[in-house]
Amino acid sequence: MELVFALGLIAFKVALLIAILLLLPLPLTWLERKIAGHMQQRMGPMRVGWHGLLQPVADGIKLLTKEDHIPAEADRFLFKLAPILALAPPFVVFVAIPFGESVSVLGTEITLYVSNMNVALLFVLAVIGIEVYGVIFGGWAANSKYAVLGSLRTCAQMISYEIPMGFAVIGVVMLAQSMSLLDIVRAQADVWNIVYQPVGFFVFFVAGLAEAQRIPFDLAEAEGDLGAGFHTEYSGIRFAFFMVSEYAVMLLVSVLSVILFFGGWNGVLIPLPPLLWFALKVAFFLYVFMWFRFTFPRYRYDQLMAIGWKVLLPLSLANIMITGVAFL
Amino acid sequence: MSRALHISGAWIGWAFFADLADALALTFGYMFSRSVTMQYPDKEKWLPYSRYRGHHFLKRDEEGEIKCVACELCARICPCDCIEVVPYEDEKGNRRPAKFEIDMARCLFCGLCEDACPADAIALGQQYEFSSFSSRDLVVGRDDLLGKPGKATTGGGVVAARLNTEQDVLVETSEPQGYNWWRNIRRT
Repeated sequence: MELVFALGLIAFKVALLIAILLLLPLPLTWLERKIAGHMQQRMGPMRVGWHGLLQPVADGIKLLTKEDHIPAEADRFLFKLAPILALAPPFVVFVAIPFGESVSVLGTEITLYVSNMNVALLFVLAVIGIEVYGVIFGGWAANSKYAVLGSLRTCAQMISYEIPMGFAVIGVVMLAQSMSLLDIVRAQADVWNIVYQPVGFFVFFVAGLAEAQRIPFDLAEAEGDLGAGFHTEYSGIRFAFFMVSEYAVMLLVSVLSVILFFGGWNGVLIPLPPLLWFALKVAFFLYVFMWFRFTFPRYRYDQLMAIGWKVLLPLSLANIMITGVAFL
Repeated sequence: MSRALHISGAWIGWAFFADLADALALTFGYMFSRSVTMQYPDKEKWLPYSRYRGHHFLKRDEEGEIKCVACELCARICPCDCIEVVPYEDEKGNRRPAKFEIDMARCLFCGLCEDACPADAIALGQQYEFSSFSSRDLVVGRDDLLGKPGKATTGGGVVAARLNTEQDVLVETSEPQGYNWWRNIRRT
């Protein structure tokens, strides 16, 4: 009975997580278009629903009813595999992400995470690396020059950014003496990590921008020079998979920034429910992502590599060394 | 001294991304400025200036008679040959147009017909909503041209409007003068 209840609870949590992650891109696309519009003194979507609120639903219906086109020369198996490979890892990663300590519902304590792994951070970084394969396969399988170019750029970009990203979080691990995300947040109860690790946060966030393939590092899908990059040949629901994946990674980088550097659900000054604090911080980072997108131009390919290898990597190494000297 | 300070300040700014911060501040400021979108045709509509060259109209004189003397100068000067005039002699012995047709599908709204007219009978008015599903509907005859709205007296404003799709697609408005569209444009 005990086991059945525990299993049922985990199944419920996973289902809730999947539902949230699948539905969250809807308000996010609306927000992104609204923010883009207002930054450019436009209004954004206005026609469907109140202030265009139902626009994402209309877009979703459009994508679902569109022809699912596969190019004649494409590698059909890889072409079908790629969107799933891009979509699944961001969802899997959220298994290891804690959203709070626990809440008591009807007398039973329910933890706000699916599992508390002791190597959660490693798990997150490892699994999110798989997402890149979706992008690479998608571009390769389409057999189109724009898509292949987008994939090639993704390969080079990921090699230069996964390493600084991994190094940047080591400082946090050293401070918390644990790789469990739950312990990392608990260690920040008094002082947030951003105070001790500003350089680490900078490197992590820049690498996160590259990881999420957002402007200024969206070279894989640069509209200006590559059509649509790796998903040039995708349409309908497969294209929607890539879009949902992109938003999930964006959400993941925001959540990781909050957990690793901004104290997770620990609040300051204003006493709010921990979950609300967490949501507010994540929302702020999501806004920063969109804000960056409509402010900065795209970096050139060689500039991107130069930043990755010549700036971020030495910075992250120096950060590890200074943290080590100061705290160990 | 001040030069050294200036140079070191520039380097410190470069190291801490002062230029990027400036850009972010600019876009953040823009986000809370008013939008310049004119919500045509749902909510707003633009009123043309009096110099605007829209749909042609034919004028009448004080006795209510058509001013046109059917000299065909407009048809002759028209660069796209879209005006067709057939004259006749009325009871008073005046030369008047029996047929005055303008093919709006071909017209390029240059306004040369208005300049050429010796009787000040034809002009380009303020109407700009006359799209059609058939190019045949765009050939407008004499009596229709007499009923078209004339030059705008006020203009350059944005007024509240309503889209009416019950019979024909119409953008209705009752306000004579709206707000100046340029008020939200930033000039630096």
